[in-house]
Amino acid sequence: MDFLAEGFRRAVALLFSGDAEVYGIAVLTLKIGFLATLVACAVGLPAGFLLATRPFWGRRAALTVVNTALAFPTVVVGLLLYGVLSRRGPLGGMEWLYTWQAIALGDVLLALPIAAALAAAAVQGVDPRIRRTAETLGAGRWRTAWTVAREARFALAAVITTAFGHIVAEIGSAMTVGGNIRGQTRTLTTAVALYTSQGDFGLALALGLILLLLALLVNVALQVLQGRGESHA
Amino acid sequence: MLELVGVRHRYADRLVLDLDRFALPPGAAVAIVGPNGSGKSTLLRLLALLERPSEGEVRLDGAAVIGGRARTALRRRVTLVEQRPVLFRGTVRENLEFGLGLRRIRRTDVNRRVESVAARLAITALLGRRRHELSDGEVQRAAVARALVLEPDVLLLDEPTSSADRAAAQALYRTLAEERARRPLAVCLASHQLEDAYRWTDDVRALAEGRLAPVTPENLFRVELPAGGEDLKRVCVGSVEVAVTSDKTGPAILAVPATDIFVSREPLASSARNVFSGRVIRLSHQRPGVVHITADVGVELVAVVTEAAVRDLGLTPGGPVVFSFKASAVRVF
Repeated sequence: MDFLAEGFRRAVALLFSGDAEVYGIAVLTLKIGFLATLVACAVGLPAGFLLATRPFWGRRAALTVVNTALAFPTVVVGLLLYGVLSRRGPLGGMEWLYTWQAIALGDVLLALPIAAALAAAAVQGVDPRIRRTAETLGAGRWRTAWTVAREARFALAAVITTAFGHIVAEIGSAMTVGGNIRGQTRTLTTAVALYTSQGDFGLALALGLILLLLALLVNVALQVLQGRGESHA
Repeated sequence: MLELVGVRHRYADRLVLDLDRFALPPGAAVAIVGPNGSGKSTLLRLLALLERPSEGEVRLDGAAVIGGRARTALRRRVTLVEQRPVLFRGTVRENLEFGLGLRRIRRTDVNRRVESVAARLAITALLGRRRHELSDGEVQRAAVARALVLEPDVLLLDEPTSSADRAAAQALYRTLAEERARRPLAVCLASHQLEDAYRWTDDVRALAEGRLAPVTPENLFRVELPAGGEDLKRVCVGSVEVAVTSDKTGPAILAVPATDIFVSREPLASSARNVFSGRVIRLSHQRPGVVHITADVGVELVAVVTEAAVRDLGLTPGGPVVFSFKASAVRVF
């Protein structure tokens, strides 16, 4: 048990010492996290809205695919992306393998079905009379969509948080296509895995705590938003 | 003129509406009455273009409404208030401003219209409130105000007073009547309240099983006709058995024309196969010289007689009454 306490002490010391490596890893993780969340939600939320509201041929099959993709192992996504981005792969010319962009692309692919499936569920949870009412008052397609989204805004905010949490917590894809290169593609999760395997428990724990802190901050922000919204419902 | 032409509408495989033609002339006030599940709400949603008919078309001023833009354009002239309306997030005032904002109405006009409609529907005090601070009746009034403020050509109302008390309901109908007197506004109203339908509209149409009934809308009953070779059948309606002449079997609608019911104080010897005793529930004077007698005779029935007949028979609410009608007077469809 001593090593746990020692690790925790070291973690706290590292957190408050402003260690450049720890800081760099955290910043890279945040950069990738925000970018991948932005892209995944920019595509996934409208896709989820369409899946929930627009009847089209193959809609049920599309929903099944999206829901299945929720359970896609991250390491398998990493493996497939590795094949695509490797020199012999179709996107090998981009030379993205072992770059932070490759990690971000993998995270987008992982978060996309989450954003789409949960957004579809959030929109389906909105009273259908809201949509009909907006339409009968003269709203066009986009304004109707905006009105429905406004009603589901807390659920949609939770979708964004979930996507962000999934992205910053995943390791399989980041390790496979990022390579865990120090100062370039080392994220919080890949660093935790590396330092744990090297026996540097304190540093691993410090990074783990930062990861938890990030998740906590995002959730607190959401709670504050929801609290404010409920008083203005 | 807003029309449904050759409309057959289905949910899954179930036919819920079957209308060769349903027209709503400009400035008309039409009531659609009928039992639950008769297709009233579906009819209004089709007229409001919130659903596309499985077959047939919606026409406005003779032209079929096809395509997304045409539908949105029509929706700016036709507004539906649903039976249990919802308000959007925000205040009642923001709800009233929603449609005006879409139409890019100037701010001063928005304020003028909102204040005017709110005053007429007595919801001025509610303008600053949010939906969770309102009763069902207040939500209903706010929803009607939200539609009226748009000054549509056609206003479709689905049971607009289902959550309102009598006074609020009368105030709403008076406001609609004033609005119709002020400008050309067609109103199509789905209601259970026959009395309101007759009082506030010019044309009452009955809907049964998704079809326009070929009789007046009182005394419509959904029944199961027994199999059997004889033409004279007895079917349970409420707690009484009604004798009908029909060779049909299975599900059907019975209609007892209100004008074919013979009204008396005591059972009389006659050829009528249906003689039911009961009590008068109410007497409604809906047209000059004509009285609608609603009575509980084991089932609620409406008979139409003259004012003189009511006077001669001494009929009063709560007093005894006997309704008689021939088996052949009962319409089956």
